[in-house]
Amino acid sequence: MAEVIQKKLQAEVEKYAQMQKDVSKSLSARQKLETQLTENNIVKEELDLLDSTNTVYKLIGPVLVKQDLDEAKSTVAKRLEYINGEIQRHETLLKDMEKKSEQHRELLASLQQEFQKAQGLAVGKA
Amino acid sequence: MVIRHREANMAVNLTDLSLPQLEGLKTQLDQETEFLTSSIGQLKVVQTKYVEAKDSLNVLNKNNKGKELLVPLTSSMYVPGTLNDVEHVLVDVGTGYYVEKNVEDSKAFFKRKIDFLTKQIEKIQPALQEKHAMKQAVIEVMNVKIQQLQQSQQSSQMVGTTKA
Repeated sequence: MAEVIQKKLQAEVEKYAQMQKDVSKSLSARQKLETQLTENNIVKEELDLLDSTNTVYKLIGPVLVKQDLDEAKSTVAKRLEYINGEIQRHETLLKDMEKKSEQHRELLASLQQEFQKAQGLAVGKA
Repeated sequence: MVIRHREANMAVNLTDLSLPQLEGLKTQLDQETEFLTSSIGQLKVVQTKYVEAKDSLNVLNKNNKGKELLVPLTSSMYVPGTLNDVEHVLVDVGTGYYVEKNVEDSKAFFKRKIDFLTKQIEKIQPALQEKHAMKQAVIEVMNVKIQQLQQSQQSSQMVGTTKA
């Protein structure tokens, strides 16, 4: 009896560890997005300060390509939109995962209790 | 575990914590101070770059127009050139975008950046000081606890020897 529970417990612990891994992965991805968001916001601020007398270039590989100011602005705006969407997506994902981990933790705790009980019984019989 | 201590730290008296708990708290504070210190260091490095860029713009004035200069093609090879345009420079504004600005605007740009970084550093500095103070407090309590432990060990040894 105790061995069966122990095996199950082990499997569940492994599952839990995998979940924690996913959570930290998602967390670091979100952090990266946050950095990109800040950087793009700074670029947007700068572009908003410009007028038609300024020429904008985009670095593509090693070459600078002339680009329309409005085009650059809309690119950055689109990028910001995308990044914000991604952050939101990660946020809900994280919340979901956290809820699942919480449930899993409870499951683990009850399994552990069961295991201890079963072990106690086994010892008592012996 | 450690995080839970930290959250409760404001309410919990440091002297109530056990030595291992204090040890954990100290390690965490160590990590935090290290992170903040390196952040400030990085910000300062970037700030110096902007200051240098702003200073070098001062060379671009009307007096220097048409003067000859050596343009570095690589770090060890230069070609002669003349300074043709003293009014415009290309500024990297981030994410691969470069903007042609006149010298005055560029100076304003760098000033904005330098001010922004100064503000960021000023934001971090108090947090760092706070962490430092907390770490110092933890170390003090740890020292007291260690001393108490040693004293109690010594006295119990004394009791042991007198009995023997």
